Amino acid sequence: MPENVKISIRQFTVLVMLITIGDSILVLPSIAAFEAKQDVWISGLIGLAVGLLAVYIFSMVGKLYPHLTLVQSIQEIFGKWFGTFVSLMFLFYTFLSVVAHTRETGDFVTSVMMQETPTQAIQILFVCIVIMAVRLGLEVIARTGEIFLPWIIFFFLILVILLSPQAEFEKLQPILENGIKPVLHGSLSCIAFPFMELVVFLMIFPYVNQPQQIRKGFLQGVLLGGIVLIIIITVSILVLGPDHTARSMYPTYSLARRVTVGRFFERVEAMLALMWTLTIFMKVTLYFYIFNLGLAQLLKLKGYRMLTLPVGLLLIVLTPVISPSITYFNKVISKYWPYFDLTYGLLLPLLLLAVYFVRTKFKRSTN
Amino acid sequence: MLTGMLFIVAIIIAIEVPPLWRKKLKKELWAFSLLLLFGTILGLAQALEFKIPNPLDWVISVYKPVSDLMDVWLK
Repeated sequence: MPENVKISIRQFTVLVMLITIGDSILVLPSIAAFEAKQDVWISGLIGLAVGLLAVYIFSMVGKLYPHLTLVQSIQEIFGKWFGTFVSLMFLFYTFLSVVAHTRETGDFVTSVMMQETPTQAIQILFVCIVIMAVRLGLEVIARTGEIFLPWIIFFFLILVILLSPQAEFEKLQPILENGIKPVLHGSLSCIAFPFMELVVFLMIFPYVNQPQQIRKGFLQGVLLGGIVLIIIITVSILVLGPDHTARSMYPTYSLARRVTVGRFFERVEAMLALMWTLTIFMKVTLYFYIFNLGLAQLLKLKGYRMLTLPVGLLLIVLTPVISPSITYFNKVISKYWPYFDLTYGLLLPLLLLAVYFVRTKFKRSTN
Repeated sequence: MLTGMLFIVAIIIAIEVPPLWRKKLKKELWAFSLLLLFGTILGLAQALEFKIPNPLDWVISVYKPVSDLMDVWLK
């Protein structure tokens, strides 16, 4: 596939950081706090530790075939038939992720900001921009990330600094009230949502111009993104308390509503919504790009751009189908989606490594 | 809804098909047409209020045992 694009290691790190923050910054505190209550910050730390380990495994998988994307190396390692099957399953996963994230965007905008607007209208606009970005290619997506990053960090710092006077450290107590088990349960979503979903970066490893630095850049991006997430989770608990965090759908949004400085600096939530729209846009765009690229590579097409519009249509059609109601959707996301992520984010890379080493050992012994 | 849907499909065809046709990219044209056909059929089915199977239900049925097990184990 003549996809001659190159991104620098810095752009790669920025992309990793933005996608780690992704939609997690808005929904993760609530999902994780539902299980772990006031100890959710410990869950976040466990999540980051496991996430760094997972990223280390991803970079190992990437080193097996540095010039092939994930879909191509799956076929190289598993053989033609089983490889095609696994690649299709992986593409199904990425596509479903795109659909779910688009749905999330529509739900968020219609439920907190524009109640009167039909969800589909927002989703169609959103998908149009995503298609446009994907047709422009990976280099443009990476540069967009670089432009967005300072703004996202700026909004994030303002939010945290303005909220710090309202923090009450008593809300963290009692630590480990119900033992370690609920904390582990909460850490499951902290591992899966931000970090396991980074497995899609295996699809763009060949396009980074300094392959020997991928591991370092990847780990840096994850560390920075993970720290942002842990801070936001902790601030949610400190300001809102565990019960409110677990009950509200978008705790970070409720957080931003609390900001008030001398009664004239208020309504910061629009800023948060903008920041979240930027990060989820980057996430959906990258996933959409990877789905089209992967499908084109699986079918051995010359380029992926002709797939973007039909896939976009399919995306718009499927967004209302996947969730008859918002309760159903939230239940799926918090109860079942982490395992879906873990299957592709942990099981698939480990399986790839295991099969690769067994095959090379076997080959050497027959020679 | 129906006409809007067909209108969008027509626009997509108008944008993508001529360059593919000119460059004689047969395989690409096939992939494009099949995806578009699939999307159109699903869209029409939805507009006519047929019941479309929900992919998330498949995800649930696959991961329900694991999730239930974890719920009991980490109680």
